[in-house]
Amino acid sequence: MEILIAQIFNGLSIGSIYVLLVTGFNLLLLVAMIIHFSFPVVVVFSMYISWFVMTLTGSVALGVAGGIASAVVVNVITAPMFQHIMRERGSVDINATMVISMGMGMIITDILSHTFNQGFPIAFPDALTGNDQGALISVGLVSISRGQVLTLIVGIIFVAFLFWLLYKTRAGRAFRAIAEDPNGAKLVGIPLLKTGFQSYALTGILGGVTAVLMAVLLGSASAGLGDQLGHKVLAVSIIAGLGNLTGGLIIGLLLGILEAIIQGYLAGSWSNAIAFIVMLVVILAKPKGVFGSKL
Amino acid sequence: MSLPLYYYLAITAIYILMSWSIYIPYRVGQLHFMTVANMAISSYFAALMAINFAWPFWLVLIVGTLLGALIGFLVSVAIGDAPCFAVVIVGFTFIYLTKTIIENVEAFGGPLGIFSIPKVLQTSSDNRTLLLIVAYALVLLTGFLISRFDHSRLGRAASAIFIDRDLAVSFGVDVKKLGMFLQTWASAVGGMSGVMYAFIMRSISPNHFTFHLIGVCMTMLFVGGYTTLWGALLAAPILWGFPLILPEALQSWNIVIYGVLLIVVLVIKPEGIITRPTVKKIESLLSRNRKKV
Amino acid sequence: MAQNDPILKIDSLSVSYGHVKALSDISLEVGKGEIVVLVGANGAGKTSIMETVLGANVPVGGDIEFKGIHIGGVPVDKNVRNGMFLVPEGRGVFASMTVMDNLLLGAHHNLKNSDKKLQLVFDSFPVLGERKLQVAGTLSGGERQMLAIARALMSSPDMIMVDEPSIGLAPIIVNDIFEILVNLNKEGYSILLSEQNVYKALKIAHRGYVLETGRIIKSGTAEELLNDEAVREAYLGA
Ligand SMILES: Nc1ncnc2c1ncn2[C@@H]1O[C@H](COP(=O)(O)OP(=O)(O)O)[C@@H](O)[C@H]1O
Ligand SMILES: [Mg+2]
Repeated sequence: MEILIAQIFNGLSIGSIYVLLVTGFNLLLLVAMIIHFSFPVVVVFSMYISWFVMTLTGSVALGVAGGIASAVVVNVITAPMFQHIMRERGSVDINATMVISMGMGMIITDILSHTFNQGFPIAFPDALTGNDQGALISVGLVSISRGQVLTLIVGIIFVAFLFWLLYKTRAGRAFRAIAEDPNGAKLVGIPLLKTGFQSYALTGILGGVTAVLMAVLLGSASAGLGDQLGHKVLAVSIIAGLGNLTGGLIIGLLLGILEAIIQGYLAGSWSNAIAFIVMLVVILAKPKGVFGSKL
Repeated sequence: MSLPLYYYLAITAIYILMSWSIYIPYRVGQLHFMTVANMAISSYFAALMAINFAWPFWLVLIVGTLLGALIGFLVSVAIGDAPCFAVVIVGFTFIYLTKTIIENVEAFGGPLGIFSIPKVLQTSSDNRTLLLIVAYALVLLTGFLISRFDHSRLGRAASAIFIDRDLAVSFGVDVKKLGMFLQTWASAVGGMSGVMYAFIMRSISPNHFTFHLIGVCMTMLFVGGYTTLWGALLAAPILWGFPLILPEALQSWNIVIYGVLLIVVLVIKPEGIITRPTVKKIESLLSRNRKKV
Repeated sequence: MAQNDPILKIDSLSVSYGHVKALSDISLEVGKGEIVVLVGANGAGKTSIMETVLGANVPVGGDIEFKGIHIGGVPVDKNVRNGMFLVPEGRGVFASMTVMDNLLLGAHHNLKNSDKKLQLVFDSFPVLGERKLQVAGTLSGGERQMLAIARALMSSPDMIMVDEPSIGLAPIIVNDIFEILVNLNKEGYSILLSEQNVYKALKIAHRGYVLETGRIIKSGTAEELLNDEAVREAYLGA
C-alpha cells in the first residue's frame, strides 16, 4: 500500500512534467497554429544548455537562468520561420509545420549527440538535484525525494499561472479568441502574427522552466530523450483531443501515474513499452481523442 | 564492381523504396511512418527464416512483403481515415515497440542484431549482381504501379482528399477505403524493402530502423517534392550520395545537413524541388523533341 | 450626393482572391452620421467591400480614405484603433467565450475605461448584462447579433460596418436589430450596412448602393432606390 502511494506520488511528479510539455505544445497549436512536434526536443536542448552553463561556471543559479533563456531564444528565433509558412499557406496545411518541426528536432538531437559531453548522457550536479541530501520523506521502504516535491509544486503553480493568464488577462483572451476562430479574431482587430509571437515567447518560458524541473527530477539527460518525450507528448495530446488543455492535464497526469505504477513491477525498457502499448490501443480505438479536439 | 559502389547503389534503391512508402499514403495527407516498422519487422523475419529454416530468398521476399501488407492492413482498419497526427504517432509507437522487442528478446539477437545472413548465390559478385537487379526491378515495379495509380481515377480522388477532405467526401469519395488501400500498399513496400535490406547488408541491428531513417526518408521526399513520384526518385541518390563524398569530419553531421535542407526547402519551396508543373514541362519538352524526330 | 464631409470614401477600388476578381471599380462614400446600405444578392461583393475597408483584404487597385487618411493596405488592428469596427456576417462571436470576454475583445486595443464602456453597453442591452458570465454559445441568434453590435461599441468606433445582420433571424427580431441601428445612428455613429433584406434596409438608410457581381450598378438616396423600377423588380418582388 505504501509503495503504491509512493508510486502514485512519483507518477504525479513525472505527470506534471508531461502536463507542462503538453500544455506548451497545445498552446502553440492553438495560438500559433503549428504542430510543434519537437517542442520537447527544444526542452531537452535547454537541459543541455543548463548543464553546460552549470559545469562551466559552477553556478546552479546561472545554469537555471541559462536553461530558461535558451528555450525562449530557440522559440523566438524559430518563430519567423513557422510564421512564414503560416502566412504563405493560411491555416490549411498544418502538416508542413509538423514536418519543419521534425526537421528542427533532427538537427537539435544530432547536435546534442555530437557535441555536449562527447555525446554521452549528462548528469546534473547534486547542488541542483539535492540527491546528496537523501530523501525528503522516508518511511520504511517509501521515500519521496526533494526533486519530486519541487517538481510537483512548481508544476502546479505554473499550470495555475497559465490558466490564470489564459482566462484573466488581455493576452490570454486574445489567445483564446485565436484558438477558437483565427479569422474572427483577425476581424475584431487582434493582430494574429504578433499574438502568435507572444505565444512562442510564453511557451519558451514554459519550456525553460520544464527543462529545469526535468533536470532536478531526472538528474540526467541524453540526446534521445527529446524524441521519446516528443512522441509521448503528441500521443497524450491526441488521446486528450488535440488542443484540449484540460484534457491534456488529465491525460498527462494519468500517463505519469501509469508509468510509475508499471515501473514498480517491471524493469527498464519494458515499462516504457507497456505505456506505449496502452497509448497505442487508445489511439487506435479513438483516433480523434477522448475529450474531443479543439481544432 | 567495387564494394562501396555496390552498397551505394543498393542502399539508394532501398531509400527510393522507403521514401515512396511514405509518398504513397501522403497522397491523402497521411504521414505513415509505420512503414519503417514494417521494414524492421520484415527484415528480422527474413533474417530469421533464412538462417534458421533455410527459406529461399524468393519465398522470404514474397512472404516478407505480404507480412508488411498484412500488418499495414490490420492497422489501417483503425486509422485508415484518421487525422495525420494520429497516423504519425501510431507509426512512431510501432517503431518504438518493434525496437524495444528486438532489443530485449534473445532470439532476435538483442542490441547487437543478427549476423551472417546467407547469400542468395554462391559467389559474392553473383550475389551482389542479383540483389542489385532485384532491387532495381522492384524500384521499377513500384514506380510503375505508383504512376498507374497517380494517373487513375483513384489517384485523382487521392489528390482531392489531400486538397480538401470535406469536399472530397461530399463528392462521394470513400476516404477510409482509399486510406486503407494506400496504407496497406505502403506497408507492403516497407516490408519488401526490409527483406531486401537484410539480404543486402547481411547483418542487421535495431539501430538501423530508428527515427534517423524516418528523417532521411522524409528529407528525400520533401526536398525532392512530395507531389509526384519523381521527387523521391531523384532526391534519394543525390541526398544519399553527397554526404559520402564530403570530408570525413563533415560526414557524421549528415543528419544536421538533412535537417537544414528539409527546413530550407519547405520554407522556400513548400512543394519541394520537383513539382507537377515541372514534370509537365519536361514531358511536353520530351514529346516536342519526339515529334521533331 | 453625400454630405460635404464623408467619413469613408472609396475610389475605384478593385479586389481579387487569387485569380478570382471579386470587386471592380467600386466608388462609394459614407457621410458623417449617415446610414448607407449596400444591397445585392449572395456573392455580389458586399462582404468583400467591408473586409477590404477593414484591412482584412489587400486591394489590387483604387483608394480608400477613412476620416481623410488613406488606409489602403493598413492592417485591421490599426484601422480598429482609428475608429472603425466590423460586425461580421454570421455575427462572429466567440461561442466558447463568455459574453464579457466577447465584449472586452472589442476593446482589445484600448482597455482603458473599459469598465465605463461596459456599463454603457449593459445599460443599452440589459440582456447582455444579465448573461455576462454565460458563454456566448448559449445565446439566441438575436442576442448574439446584439452582442456583436455591443462588441463593436466597446471599441469606441466612429463608423460601424454591419454585414447582413438579418440573416437567420425572425422578422420581429430583425426589426429590433434595425431599431438598434437607427438609435445608434442618432447617437452619432456612421453606419455602413449590407443587406439582402432590401426593403427594410432602405427604410432605415439614408442612401444606398446596388451591387451586382462586384460592380455598383445603381446608387441614390434610399427613397430614390425604393421607387426605382428596376430595383423594385429585382429586389422587392414588385
Ligand atoms: N476568401 C475568398 N476566396 C475566394 N473567393 C472569394 C472569397 N471571398 C469571397 N469570394 C468571392 O468573391 C465574390 C464576392 O463575395 P462576397 O464579398 O462574399 O459577396 P457577398 O458578401 O455580397 O455575398 C464571390 O464571387 C465570392 O465567391
Ligand atoms: Mg457576404
